[in-house]
Amino acid sequence: MYAKTFGETVCGINGEEIIVEVDISNGLPGFDIVGLPDTAVKESRERVRASLKNSGLMFPMTRITVNLAPADLRKDGSSLDLPIAVGILTAAGSLLQEEAEGKIFVGELALDGSIRQVAGVLPMILYAREHGWREIYIPQGNAAEGELVDGIDVYTPASLSELVSHLKKRERLTPLPKIQFGTGTAGCGDVDFAEVRGQQVVKRALEIAAAGGHNVLMVGAPGSGKTMLARRLPTILPPMTEDEILEITKIYSIAGLLNGKKQLVLERPFRSPHHTVSASALIGGGSVPKPGEVTLSHNGVLFLDELPEFSRQALEVLRQPLEDGVVTISRVQASLSFPARLILITAQNPCPCGFLGDKVHSCTCRPHEIERYRRKISGPLLDRIDIQVTVPRLEYDDLKDKTEGESSAVIRSRVVKARGVQRKRFEGSGVHCNAQMNKKQLNKYCKLEPQAEAMLGKYFAALGLSARTHDRIVKVARTIADLEGSAAIKAAHIAEAIQLRTSVQR
Amino acid sequence: MADRRGDFGRRGEDAACAYLLRHGYSIVERNYRCRRGEIDIIAAKDGGAVFVEVKTRRSLKFGTPGMAVTYAKQQKIRTAALHYLQQCGGGYNKIAFDVIEIVADDGKAKLRHLQNCF
Repeated sequence: MYAKTFGETVCGINGEEIIVEVDISNGLPGFDIVGLPDTAVKESRERVRASLKNSGLMFPMTRITVNLAPADLRKDGSSLDLPIAVGILTAAGSLLQEEAEGKIFVGELALDGSIRQVAGVLPMILYAREHGWREIYIPQGNAAEGELVDGIDVYTPASLSELVSHLKKRERLTPLPKIQFGTGTAGCGDVDFAEVRGQQVVKRALEIAAAGGHNVLMVGAPGSGKTMLARRLPTILPPMTEDEILEITKIYSIAGLLNGKKQLVLERPFRSPHHTVSASALIGGGSVPKPGEVTLSHNGVLFLDELPEFSRQALEVLRQPLEDGVVTISRVQASLSFPARLILITAQNPCPCGFLGDKVHSCTCRPHEIERYRRKISGPLLDRIDIQVTVPRLEYDDLKDKTEGESSAVIRSRVVKARGVQRKRFEGSGVHCNAQMNKKQLNKYCKLEPQAEAMLGKYFAALGLSARTHDRIVKVARTIADLEGSAAIKAAHIAEAIQLRTSVQR
Repeated sequence: MADRRGDFGRRGEDAACAYLLRHGYSIVERNYRCRRGEIDIIAAKDGGAVFVEVKTRRSLKFGTPGMAVTYAKQQKIRTAALHYLQQCGGGYNKIAFDVIEIVADDGKAKLRHLQNCF
């Protein structure tokens, strides 16, 4: 007796259909799973056996062979328990083939027959919808992900026996309702830029970074407020669009970071990994590659505090994703691409003791120590950071200043406006903000006024800038012009962009 | 006790023999023993040898009888069968390993013949 059911697994950040074939034949009792299963899938034998028994269903005491197709794709994770169980029931005659037809099953089985939450359900549902499936069955714990996707009936049976009575049309389940989630919300509600005293230059720099998606380096003495400023960046970023929310929720679904409380990522992610992070934790890795920090901060902010403390290797792997917006990880078992379009915010001290350039404290570092400290960050990485600013230690008067700074909401409205201009400009090109422009778009959209051109030319020669730096300065100038609502890039815009790029002495 | 258990198993093997005879097999040997192991029934049909392991149980409480034929038991039967084939002087065109399960519950016995098991 033969039966065929369908399940899904995750490959990179997308779902992948798995055909589960079950054959039951006469012979000594045995249960084999073939088709490149990894350990979690092989162990599903025991889970399926026990959960069928404890659900009061028949587990056939004969020879059972399960084949997972396509045979060359490695299957991992426990989400195939459910289709295997349904396949066995169908092959054993407890269910009819028609009753299991046209449906995708996803879920891990508990020994008592209940269905457990698994990671990566959202991409599976999206895949199922794209490929014309009408019904998908997911664990109740993943219900919030099921509510996001329109155009497919999503059922959440609590247990195997509930699923069987539904399939046998004894007790029908109702498909999940769909929710409208519109746009995302502002990040990190309990902090605000109004709390930051002084630091006008840095605030301006962060506003420009938020408006154009530019990377930022902040250099300053300990306690000057670098971390405080960086943590407030998400509060001025524009809300995510529906597509962005789905995209990032998909990534979090795969990483297994969605739980009961947080089922939908509405805030732009803000990740700040500790400086001991390894290169593969940063860009993703593992024998079957899993997303790393750069992918988890997709559409959001990656904050690297104490930049020189990061290992050289970890920093250098950032170069490629920063340039391309995707990171491709190749391992023996799979080569996968993860999206990684993020704003990189970095902070560091000017020297090991932290007081180089301070007006009151004197730096106690020796020249070679400073040299070594700075050399930890390579030129190619710095070259990719469009905005580099110094964060000075605050004066007492600034600190005690009673006047509130501009609130995040005010800054944010300007950012949203500037992003609106960019969205219209890049419509349909797959580019979202100025920092992502390619060379062609750069030539098309960034016409400099003659004076601006002349000024850039002068500084290019004087400062010995690289071609990439040139392009990046023009992009920042474009953002500054957008914030001002100016169609042309004027000399003042270029001047500010050059200033932001070159003010930190290296 | 030991004798009674032995009796029960022997009655199962008798039943299995009767079953095989009914289905056109001839019984070549019963309880073939060698130092490598034992084979409950060696039967023949259409020029082929069939090595049969008989498992008799009173209930299904500990799984089906067939489940007791573990890999180690299978290996034992294999080597014993090899031993037999070397001794008997050939003449078989194929061999097969079968298991006959008998569940004797409240006076009623159920027999299941699993062919080509291993």
